[in-house]
Amino acid sequence: MGAAIKSEFRKFFTTRLWWGMAIGIFLAAALFSAFFAYFTTSATATEEGAPTGDPVQIVNSVYTAGLGVGYLLMLTVGILQIGSEYRHKTITSTLLSTPNRVRAMLAKIVALLGIGALYGLVSLLGSVTVGAITLMVRDVDPFPSIEVLRTLALSLLALGLWSLIGLGLGILIPNMVAAILVGVGVAWIVEPLLSFGLSNLDWGAKIVPYFPSNATNAMVNGVTAQGTDVTFLSWWAGALVLAAYAAALSAFGTWRTVRQDVS
Amino acid sequence: MTAATTTTSTQGTPGGAHIEIRDLTKSFGSFTAVDNLSFEVQPGRITGFLGPNGAGKTTTLRMLLGLVHPTSGTARIDGRDYRDLDRPLSVVGSALEATNFHPGRSGRDHLRVIAAAGGLPDSRVDELLELTGIPAAARKRAGEYSMGMRQRLGLAAALLGDPRVLILDEPANGLDPEGIRWLRGFLRHLAGEGKTILVSSHLLQEVEQTVDDVVIIANGRLVRSGTMAELHGAPTTIVRTSDNDRLVGALRVADVMAAPGADGELVVETGDKRLVGDVALQAGVPVWELRDRRTDLEALFFQLTEGTNRNLGDGATSLPGATQPGATQPGATADAPTETDAISGREGANE
Ligand SMILES: Nc1ncnc2c1ncn2[C@@H]1O[C@H](COP(=O)(O)OP(=O)(O)OP(=O)(O)O)[C@@H](O)[C@H]1O
Ligand SMILES: [Mg+2]
Repeated sequence: MGAAIKSEFRKFFTTRLWWGMAIGIFLAAALFSAFFAYFTTSATATEEGAPTGDPVQIVNSVYTAGLGVGYLLMLTVGILQIGSEYRHKTITSTLLSTPNRVRAMLAKIVALLGIGALYGLVSLLGSVTVGAITLMVRDVDPFPSIEVLRTLALSLLALGLWSLIGLGLGILIPNMVAAILVGVGVAWIVEPLLSFGLSNLDWGAKIVPYFPSNATNAMVNGVTAQGTDVTFLSWWAGALVLAAYAAALSAFGTWRTVRQDVS
Repeated sequence: MTAATTTTSTQGTPGGAHIEIRDLTKSFGSFTAVDNLSFEVQPGRITGFLGPNGAGKTTTLRMLLGLVHPTSGTARIDGRDYRDLDRPLSVVGSALEATNFHPGRSGRDHLRVIAAAGGLPDSRVDELLELTGIPAAARKRAGEYSMGMRQRLGLAAALLGDPRVLILDEPANGLDPEGIRWLRGFLRHLAGEGKTILVSSHLLQEVEQTVDDVVIIANGRLVRSGTMAELHGAPTTIVRTSDNDRLVGALRVADVMAAPGADGELVVETGDKRLVGDVALQAGVPVWELRDRRTDLEALFFQLTEGTNRNLGDGATSLPGATQPGATQPGATADAPTETDAISGREGANE
């Protein structure tokens, strides 16, 4: 098992993808947190209809402002970790060296959680340094509560879980490019539109918090948009919901991989 | 090598392992790619696995390697399924297609990925790159490789774990004559170490000088298996003389059978050219050609697998509005596809 995990890590770090992703995640985290720190602490923020929250939530949001881009990149990483194996047919050599397919897939899952955490650290490096400096410049306490640490830790987990969602999606849609388009399209466009549309309906407002993006936001306990009837989940419920998506999709992916012919 | 894998070897040959394919069948929908196939592969020998395009060679090898699930039957290595092997890379090395590389990863890194999964040290990677002659090229990205380099990289991957069994799918594809000769010598060397070697090809002549045993399939079914010598049949000699009858008579006295062959030549049922020459001299008949009769392997292979290109056959009949081959070519005989083959088979039986 350890050998298979090591192999998965090598797979990831021996193509150019990883540092491109690292730069993307770092920049997204740094830029978004600077912007968010500036925006939420400006005096006119509340009148302009900015998202609201207590000081802890504001700081949480500053440090996780780039998470929206970060988890989409991790979704892509998850899709690529299996999709490029189908595309370039390296799945054959993977399964020849690890013929137990459940083990091969578990190795991918563990490696992706690790890669998610690593990128999470890269992301925090960008958001916490830039965000904290911006907050201090604007005379806001950058660490109002120990709760901020919990958010930082959970943002690492969130990135890992999104990569597992990608893994499942990459198996569900074997065409790598199509899988990325569908995954990013759903998470970035379809889901926010649905959330917006459904939150005005009674029954809709009850299911909206369970959408993966909203669960992720709840998990890191950020600020919420003004003037909505939706009650978002608590941080632990958000974490459980996102973990459930990740578990369901990666379990599905494992099941499909075990059954299918590789030719 | 782990104790677990060696203890299961019943052959008593620490070098190789015994491959046994039994009643193996694979259907894709209603299409039977491999049809009740059974054969064995012995250690210390090179076995050629032959068949025309689409015969089911790759599918069979993929079943043997646990990549494709058989519809029924078994494919075992020393009595175990590939998937149940503890350290598969140290038992079986395989190279299936020359294109199985991530174009953005260097050849060396490709091997390092495999080595990690097999628990093998990186030093082994460099050893193999040296052995297959691509140590410098392996640092380039695999997308830039030529076909021959891909084949060599594939072979290096197969040999990483110093396996007892080597399974290669069309390894000579894309190799230059120099590379083919190198591969031949290399396989011979490995077989000499007692390893079991199974190589597929769709050209009998290509492997003629390489293999000891052959397994020939067509349409997913076994058509012939045995040693290369058996395939060649008993050795015969071709002799040309001005007086066939006298030489036949003289040979009969010497207890050697001979019969006229094509084009006025005489086919003598012995491999002993000196004997034929001596007999001819004693009989006083001049001889102006005396040589071994080489089995025409191309013809033999075609005869064995004849009329079996089901892929072409299917395509021709499924074309909308396609006329029957027999209708457009009334005089068609040997060249016509499947339909007429069945008929000519019956005609042969009547003769
Ligand atoms: N996944 C699949 N789905 C449907 N048909 C398949 C599949 N894989 C193989 N086949 C069919 O099974 C037959 C045998 O294919 P296979 O690749 O085993 O042939 P082969 O002997 O290796 O041929 P070649 O010499 O061209 O490599 C072919 O007709 C092929 O179209
Ligand atoms: Mg093939």
